[in-house]
Amino acid sequence: MRQVAAGEIGGLETLYDRYHAVAYALALRITTETGLAEDVVQDSFLGLWRNATRYAEDKGSVKGWLLAIVRHRAIDSTRRRRNGVAIGDETDELLPAALTLPDIWPEVAGRLDAQQIRTALAKLPAAQRDAIELAYYDGLTQREIATRTDAPLGTVKSRMRLGLSSLRRELMGIGDGQGPA
Amino acid sequence: MIITCDRVVDLAPGFVLGALDAGEMDAVREHMSTCSKSHPELREMGGILPYLGASLEPVEPPRHLRAAVMAAALEDLRSRMPAAPVQTAPQASPSPTVLEPAQAAPVVSLARVRAARSRRVVTWLTRVAAAAVIVSLGGYAVAVQADLNSAHKSQDAIKVYDDAVGQRGARSAVLAPEIGQRGAGNAVLLQSGHVVVYLSGLAPTTGDQVYMVWSSADGGPITKDGWITVDDQGSNSLQIDNVSAVDSLWLMVCLEPNRNVTAPTGAIIVTGIIWVYPPASPTS
Repeated sequence: MRQVAAGEIGGLETLYDRYHAVAYALALRITTETGLAEDVVQDSFLGLWRNATRYAEDKGSVKGWLLAIVRHRAIDSTRRRRNGVAIGDETDELLPAALTLPDIWPEVAGRLDAQQIRTALAKLPAAQRDAIELAYYDGLTQREIATRTDAPLGTVKSRMRLGLSSLRRELMGIGDGQGPA
Repeated sequence: MIITCDRVVDLAPGFVLGALDAGEMDAVREHMSTCSKSHPELREMGGILPYLGASLEPVEPPRHLRAAVMAAALEDLRSRMPAAPVQTAPQASPSPTVLEPAQAAPVVSLARVRAARSRRVVTWLTRVAAAAVIVSLGGYAVAVQADLNSAHKSQDAIKVYDDAVGQRGARSAVLAPEIGQRGAGNAVLLQSGHVVVYLSGLAPTTGDQVYMVWSSADGGPITKDGWITVDDQGSNSLQIDNVSAVDSLWLMVCLEPNRNVTAPTGAIIVTGIIWVYPPASPTS
């Protein structure tokens, strides 16, 4: 990341080669359109390239930061497309402040692979998982989720809280049980 | 809206997922900007989000995307380099382009980035489309030669390029001048791995000055490919050997103070991209 911050293309190549497939998978999952997903991934890596000096190691992993950018831009692009707004009007805000919060369990999370995370998600009650996924992948607010799922707003909030808490416990349990990575 | 710490705890799940109403999002941010407490619930829940993204099965994007990303980054890097005014006299002290850390990655508007990228994509598409149309009409070599003949006098240089562009499988690009610069060019990549660059309308070189060709294949490192000098007629051609590009070849010509430079240091005169692997869907 220091290479990227210093304007070295080689550093960006390394990051791209390491994370392009997971970044594209996330962009594609959110936008459901290959062209838009490519656009989002390109924009995200370019945003990372141009704003690398804003990256702070104590704010989490590069992968986490990149995925937060991808998610933010993918949701933004999808909303703009849905609303017929031309892409290109956005501010220079890269991602919501909350998403830059430090990752407090990188040691545990570093041991997890995608399949294990999917398994942990699958263990959540469907309603909790849906609430989280509708917010994370579709960018819906709690109020919108309540309308979409025909559930009271308070219920949606509870499902979200319980789901995130359970998921965290589950992931930490998996990570703890595996020993050193 | 002023909210209490307890309210922040209540709103934490929705906040980290960006799922609160705008007013609530702002209220939490405002609270966090002044609150002395650390609010670990935000860190705990926020820390999960990257792993939600990473839970997906990786999907390989089209291979041209890598080249497009690197080309965009190179273009961005290039835009940060100083563009000296057109000069016909030797440069006493060429502008250095070594990037200082603070200069390397400024905080800029992404809207501006997107606008610039969109313009580039449009420009590239225009060039690719233009080339494709010419090829489809079967008059590519004739058109290029007619254009070049009418514009320039250096027939030898034109012939070198003309011979190249007429070859089967040749991929070409227009080398467009930077704003405020004098000159233009064309480049063609042959299946044999040779690249022929034709430049015209350039200011004459003086002293040790050279027009240096730099390139990046598939978004890779910038390499020094060769140099030319030009006389009052302002045109010349250059052949580069052993070029291996799968997706694209980005070319940049700079006016350098001498042929010994190891990195671009002088004014950028023209740039262009030869697409080897046309993007399937180069979106705007």
